[in-house]
Amino acid sequence: MSVLLDWSVVLAAASLTALATGLGALPFAFVKRVSPRTVAYSEALAAGLMLGASFGLLASGTEYGNLQTLTGAVLGILFILGTDRWLDSYTVRFEESEGASGRRMLLVVLVMTVHSTAEGIAVGAGFGGGATLATVMTLAIAVHNIPEGIAISAVLRPRGTSVARCAGWSIFSSLPQPLLAVPSFLFVESVRPGLPWAIGFAAGAMIFMVLLELLPEALEEAPRGWVGLVTSLGLVGMILFQQLL
Amino acid sequence: MDPILLVLLFSSGAALAGSLGVLPLLRRPRPPKAWMGWGNAVAGGAMLGAAYALSRSVDESLILAGGGVLGVLFTHWTHSVSRTETLDLNLLEEGDATYGYRIFLVSTLHSGTEGVAIGAAMAADLGFGAFMALAIAAHNVAESGVLVAVLRGQGLSLLQGTGLAVAANLTQVLLAVTLYAVAGAAPAILPWAAGFAMGGMVNLVLVELLPESYRQAGRTSIALIGALALAMVLLVQGALA
Repeated sequence: MSVLLDWSVVLAAASLTALATGLGALPFAFVKRVSPRTVAYSEALAAGLMLGASFGLLASGTEYGNLQTLTGAVLGILFILGTDRWLDSYTVRFEESEGASGRRMLLVVLVMTVHSTAEGIAVGAGFGGGATLATVMTLAIAVHNIPEGIAISAVLRPRGTSVARCAGWSIFSSLPQPLLAVPSFLFVESVRPGLPWAIGFAAGAMIFMVLLELLPEALEEAPRGWVGLVTSLGLVGMILFQQLL
Repeated sequence: MDPILLVLLFSSGAALAGSLGVLPLLRRPRPPKAWMGWGNAVAGGAMLGAAYALSRSVDESLILAGGGVLGVLFTHWTHSVSRTETLDLNLLEEGDATYGYRIFLVSTLHSGTEGVAIGAAMAADLGFGAFMALAIAAHNVAESGVLVAVLRGQGLSLLQGTGLAVAANLTQVLLAVTLYAVAGAAPAILPWAAGFAMGGMVNLVLVELLPESYRQAGRTSIALIGALALAMVLLVQGALA
């Protein structure tokens, strides 16, 4: 059980989980006709998945420390608020989109990358538990990353980004996982106190992104009843998904 | 005290707390649009926090999600069957003859899901239930303030509006007590009820509270106030746990 792991195994495992995020782009190979409504429902779905993911993060963060998680969350909120304000003064061009659309796409990729950073630290710290636990965790996180790729692709794809590039950005957003898993695995004792802060930061950033960008945009283009339905079911699905893993 | 009386006491307290929402209206009987939006955002953030807490209270994830889907579908269905899915919920001017009744109906149905939340939380653990009642009470203050302003627009006095806003919360008391009693007799329904309330409350936030709030106060202040209300609920939950 307590076979000690080499750092290269951690790197390989965490890279595998990052690649799995790219699979989230696949369902969007079938999205052809893109009306403003499709964009709205895609954003509603991304909002639900992100809210569900942040519920999961908050739950694991508070196991380490409630106050630290919440303080981290407030910092995450301020981070997104600041970035949003800052990007406002530029004409953001992301993939083929400019202006508000481009800003939203860039923010989603950024938020999901921040989220993976927190996860990477948590994963690395978790690998200290031995080979069996590590294998289970790698598989679990790889699968768990797929809906995160869906969330990203749901925002990028309806705005004309190709499926391959959606997959690319999804994988990009997960790169902090392998990059941070290794140092956090090697220095687990010194990393652990920072975990609730990082997890809270990611959760706050995601929740705020949903409230600031995704929901108001979705509600502008589609009837509230259906936006609510898609987002709520996305949230419930993500909670189930995370708890089953 | 008999636990069921505690449930009655806590859920009634949460229902009555709504009357505090009238306080800002004593100064501004016809509040600016932004106040309405902020009230909705506080109510939405607190409710999202309550839903999060419920999601943590159940170990059987499949049942939690099953109940959650039922709660989402039920609230979606009540909006469509009551023909309120596109109704402006925060009209400050006088609406047509049925407007006030439809708003009262929406509010009454809305409180029902909150009652399930309080009842399920109390049946799981009285301390957790007290927290849930507190979160819903905070939510009610903001929500009832908005409702009183709307009812005033339909020609009611502040006192009448406040009375009706509290009356709309009575379904909350009724369902909290009933659910607690039934869960005592049939504990198997408890995780279903918690999931139902979680899904239902999330959907109500998304359909009834946030859309109006964005129109009224703009997305930045709404996102900030909503997220902070959510954080406050989590802070209290952590302090009580």
